[in-house]
Amino acid sequence: MPDNTKNGAIASQRTDERTSFFTFVKTHTMDLLAYAGLAVMLILFLVFNSGPRLMYNFSAVVQAAAVYSILALGAVFIYSMGFMDVSLGQQIGVYVILMILIGNKIGGVPGVIVGFLLVLALALVCGAINGAVSIFLGLPSIVTSLFLMFFFTGAQYLMMESTGENTIKLVQTIKPADRNTYTLLLIGIIVLLAVIGTYFFNYTKLGKYTRAIGANKVAAKQSGISLVKWQVLGYMALGFCAAVASFVMLTRTGTAGKGTGSGYAMDIMICLILGGMPLKGGMKSKISCALVGAFTYTLLSNVLTTMGVPLNWVNFVKACIFLVIVLLTCRKPNGVLPR
Amino acid sequence: MEKEPIIQVRHMVKNFGPTRALRDVDVSFYRGEIRGLIGENGSGKSTITSIVAGMQKATSGEMFYKGEPWNPASMVDAQLHGISMVLQEANTIPNCTVAENIFAGRFNEFAVANSFLSMRKVNKAAQEILDRFGLSHIKATDSINKYGFEDRKLIEIVRCVSDETEVFVVDETTTALSLEGRQLLYKLIHKLKDNGKSVIFISHDMDEILEQCTDLTVLRDGEIIGHLNREEMDAPGAEKKIRFMMVGREIGDAYYREDYDTSHRPEVALKLDHVSFGPIKDFSLELHKGEIIGFGGLSGCGMHEIGRAAFGLEKLNEGKVMCEGKEIRSCLDAIESGIGYISKNRDTEALILEGGIGENIVLPSLNALSHATFISPKAEKKLSDGEIDNFRIKCYGGKQWVNTLSGGNKQKVSFSKWTAKKSDVLIMDCPTRGVDIGVKQFMYHVIAEMKQQGKSIILISEELGELIGMADKILIMKDFEVTHEFMRSPSLSETDIIEYMI
Repeated sequence: MPDNTKNGAIASQRTDERTSFFTFVKTHTMDLLAYAGLAVMLILFLVFNSGPRLMYNFSAVVQAAAVYSILALGAVFIYSMGFMDVSLGQQIGVYVILMILIGNKIGGVPGVIVGFLLVLALALVCGAINGAVSIFLGLPSIVTSLFLMFFFTGAQYLMMESTGENTIKLVQTIKPADRNTYTLLLIGIIVLLAVIGTYFFNYTKLGKYTRAIGANKVAAKQSGISLVKWQVLGYMALGFCAAVASFVMLTRTGTAGKGTGSGYAMDIMICLILGGMPLKGGMKSKISCALVGAFTYTLLSNVLTTMGVPLNWVNFVKACIFLVIVLLTCRKPNGVLPR
Repeated sequence: MEKEPIIQVRHMVKNFGPTRALRDVDVSFYRGEIRGLIGENGSGKSTITSIVAGMQKATSGEMFYKGEPWNPASMVDAQLHGISMVLQEANTIPNCTVAENIFAGRFNEFAVANSFLSMRKVNKAAQEILDRFGLSHIKATDSINKYGFEDRKLIEIVRCVSDETEVFVVDETTTALSLEGRQLLYKLIHKLKDNGKSVIFISHDMDEILEQCTDLTVLRDGEIIGHLNREEMDAPGAEKKIRFMMVGREIGDAYYREDYDTSHRPEVALKLDHVSFGPIKDFSLELHKGEIIGFGGLSGCGMHEIGRAAFGLEKLNEGKVMCEGKEIRSCLDAIESGIGYISKNRDTEALILEGGIGENIVLPSLNALSHATFISPKAEKKLSDGEIDNFRIKCYGGKQWVNTLSGGNKQKVSFSKWTAKKSDVLIMDCPTRGVDIGVKQFMYHVIAEMKQQGKSIILISEELGELIGMADKILIMKDFEVTHEFMRSPSLSETDIIEYMI
């Protein structure tokens, strides 16, 4: 490298750090909006819930947010590549049914464990298929996941038909009897997965490569990143989280039916958007989007219900809020300096 | 005595956040002139023209066009009033025909009975325009995707210029054009000048500016430093004077390599062994340690493809690429064997524009930085900060996004990816495209030093001066074959080479 004294034709070196308020706000608009949303929801939650209702509703929020958080943590890995998975809800449905069927067949705690492990293996395989097929066939990720969505919808129906029941129930009780213990347990699982997710997303090649792929596929490839390998691994990370989320879902009710899991794919997308995740992926993707978004979304549903908004209006209100967020975030200013 | 200016800019200020791109600029443009705008990256050339052409608004100041206050609402508005601009970046609409591109936004002119669109008329009119501009090889009915970057640029020019055009802005367009394309553009701007129109010509290429322009305005750091008329541009030492005005200090004479030592080590660093792919047939090459091999030719001669193949980016039908005894089948193979590749398409292939400088620099090195899956942020920062210092990348830190950098600084990031990876073989495809003199000089210095360190370099360039100035051996390609080989020599001139290119 040339030393700095020789051939001194070049402009000065690094200028001073510019941390003015203006630049900070400009570069962190999405994060600030996301955190502000969470804060508003938290305040409303505290305002509308008091006394014993607060504790009860808090654990209700944690129960609902646990599934969203875990799924969103995994989904960050594929959304950061600019992909999406619409089969998520149906996958979860099948996984929960499978765990119940296997668990009841073998019986007892070992049955539950075997069920979970089999589902985990299946989820990882599905992730690999989802990732590999779209890249080998050059299809948009949504198309491959649409295929899986229909496949799993069919599987879910067939499995339920074969039982001849509307809902099936896990015989073995796996939920702690005490509500507070259960809440604490769920918080523990969320924290553990958040730590693992943060590690992989921020401190390993997996997160760094998926973000790079989302930001510029060609540049990523020319920097030595194998698109196939990391795309597949990204989807497998989501598969892992889908299996865990299914298990958590099973602990909540212990039952499953034809409708189990439906709507989750879109819910996760909304969670991530609320959390400040750019839908096109890239370097601005953050693992924190998953948690911020999952809790904002759960709190939103909870607050709307406690505010007395009729259940059939909740979806309308959600749609409006979603629309506002999209309008706010998609208006991308061309704030790029010209040459 | 003063002519009436067609465009007058008064006290123009433009701020991008805390950055001041233009500080109180006063400048006038006249009919019948080709006004060159020259200055280093970030000096404000494009900012002025983009405001005049309605692409963005000034923070303050006023403009007059034909004596009237001028506030274009958009680029389309400006174009309707006679101010057209061709940009540096590609600006055509993909998946449409050439004719649709040329008349985009003007289909009303071809309406039949006020409702139906006659594509036959559109195609016919488009072909007439193409023929008039001497671009008969482009068919109006073809999809635009069929044409390469250069042809698309020419189509863009055709779209911009019409009978109503009064002011034509060419913003660093020529870097994308080959010799023939440039000649076409030069002919066009001279014709416009002769017809009493005004041309504003932005370029980094000093020779081009000196040859083509009738007047020259030099900018530095958002301010007008001075004007030169044709006489002053022809005066001896004008080039040096202009450079001084641009940079603000003497940059010295050392530009290219000064030695004529073509020796290199005996070891072969990179070998292309009877390689065939696409239109390239049976191509062989041996690059030694400490050697710089230059590739020259017109665009489409196959030299860029050779660079891609050497980096494992092309699927080979026959033959193989070898480095350090290993066969290169993919970019990953290439990078792990110590090969680096600087793509000519800096913004689309080499860099993640919407990402930090640091993230870009360390990307190829992450594999090496990863210990039992863990990548230490400290190690990353150390590596990227080291490169930012070495290359003197003008930024506030590794977190700054690459898309906020000027062209020259972006190119430095692209270089530093491979110095960070400690690559021993560098394939550089047009490494100084769209880069100003100061940075160019720096790059040449870096390349010369790499040779001293025993690194091997393939230098693919559209600028003959660069090849003559830097390479040990120059291979000239035409129609996917090497037509001639030149060795480095003080007597080698561009005219010697050109005849083997065309």
